[in-house]
Amino acid sequence: MTALPVPLGLLAELTHRCPLQCPYCSNPLDLVRASHELDTRTWVRVMEEAAALGIAHVHLSGGEPLARPDLAEITNAAHLSGLYTNLITAAVGLNAQRLAELRAAGLDHVQISFQGIAPEQADAIAHVKGAFRAKKDAARLVCDEGLALTVNAVIHRSNVGDVSGFIDLAVELGAGRLEIAHVQYHGWALANRAHLMPTRAQFEATRSVVEDARRRLEGTLVIDHVMPDYLAERPKACMGGWGQQVMVVTPDGRTLPCHAATTIPDLVFANVRTSSLAEIWGHDEAFNRFRGTAWMPSPCQGCERAEIDWGGCRCQALAITGNAAVTDPVCSLSPSHDLMATLASEAPARPGYRFRRIGG
Amino acid sequence: MSDDKKKPPDRDTSAAPRLAPGVRLRKDDQRGPVLLGPERVLELDDIALSIVTQIDGKRRVSDIAAALAKEYDEKAENIRADIDSLLKDLAAKGYVKP
Repeated sequence: MTALPVPLGLLAELTHRCPLQCPYCSNPLDLVRASHELDTRTWVRVMEEAAALGIAHVHLSGGEPLARPDLAEITNAAHLSGLYTNLITAAVGLNAQRLAELRAAGLDHVQISFQGIAPEQADAIAHVKGAFRAKKDAARLVCDEGLALTVNAVIHRSNVGDVSGFIDLAVELGAGRLEIAHVQYHGWALANRAHLMPTRAQFEATRSVVEDARRRLEGTLVIDHVMPDYLAERPKACMGGWGQQVMVVTPDGRTLPCHAATTIPDLVFANVRTSSLAEIWGHDEAFNRFRGTAWMPSPCQGCERAEIDWGGCRCQALAITGNAAVTDPVCSLSPSHDLMATLASEAPARPGYRFRRIGG
Repeated sequence: MSDDKKKPPDRDTSAAPRLAPGVRLRKDDQRGPVLLGPERVLELDDIALSIVTQIDGKRRVSDIAAALAKEYDEKAENIRADIDSLLKDLAAKGYVKP
């Protein structure tokens, strides 16, 4: 038995409410309603417990965390506990007053999602008119406040040609970091996969654009390129490995090893309303189920990459093969690997996106 | 917002490195001293820590070299090379603004 790892990050999904309806959202189809959300006091306790457990970063996310009127209070609790606070926001409705309040509460960093590089195209994905302009204004406010800004660009078929434009946008806005993140096919994104998946040639073209920009902008802009799983040969260490680095707390308090883990039907998740983060991290059945290497099937068992990619993503294994306990089919050694390529080129069964909605 | 915040940094201190916005030094019980940035953690060894501790946006590289030379009883020019190479690396990774 190896020693229990020290968790690095807490993904705090404060709410599933969101003004945007992006069809690539990785939230589950069954969104948590506002009446089931945790109260302020519980989130404050969660932040204190996270810091005590050794967590360094808290990602205040959702849904749209700005929908919580107590966001500054929760941020402040995290800050006072010593956590690095990262706000992951769509930024629609992020005005100067709100930002000043968050800054005073100890906010360290803001990540703003952009759906495109021009208003019409971006607003069509967000399914909200005026969203692009509002985001640009908010991004400028973030930099004016002296806060660090990351631009998050989620990449799919309809904007995969705009990677260079996203890089220019990030520089123009004064961001220190840019995430070029190819869609991860969970939740709503999985439901819209046939509409979102780029071709291999489209993806390959993004690689050289990013590599050139990295050289050109070294010291100005850090660019993280999140690769699209379906076109890869080796899986990612999903969440840094199941139960290795990250805890996710959902708006209603369920604590998950991965934000898509609720799709795995036979897992039961502990709730922060009744358990501490330390109890959950150390002893919860769901966290232990796929932790380490003992659970691994062939070809992961004994593979030299077993502790590099930790078998890849459990939720993806489930989504593709129907079994969460097999090798992530992204791996070319998986018997289901060819199925990934077939699914990647699948034609849409119906026209148009299925937009993200509560009860939708 | 006050006007002071928008003022560009004084020219005289422009050669003084500072931590990039969103980067914090933390003495972590589990990990030892680390630089925290968005989605990243950099563990610092003793030498890196002694240099990073001096970075405040006011002290120039030469001041930092002089201070560390005194502390470690070394010649400033010997220490300067270590500082330059660390700062170059930290700047490329986005932790420090030179």
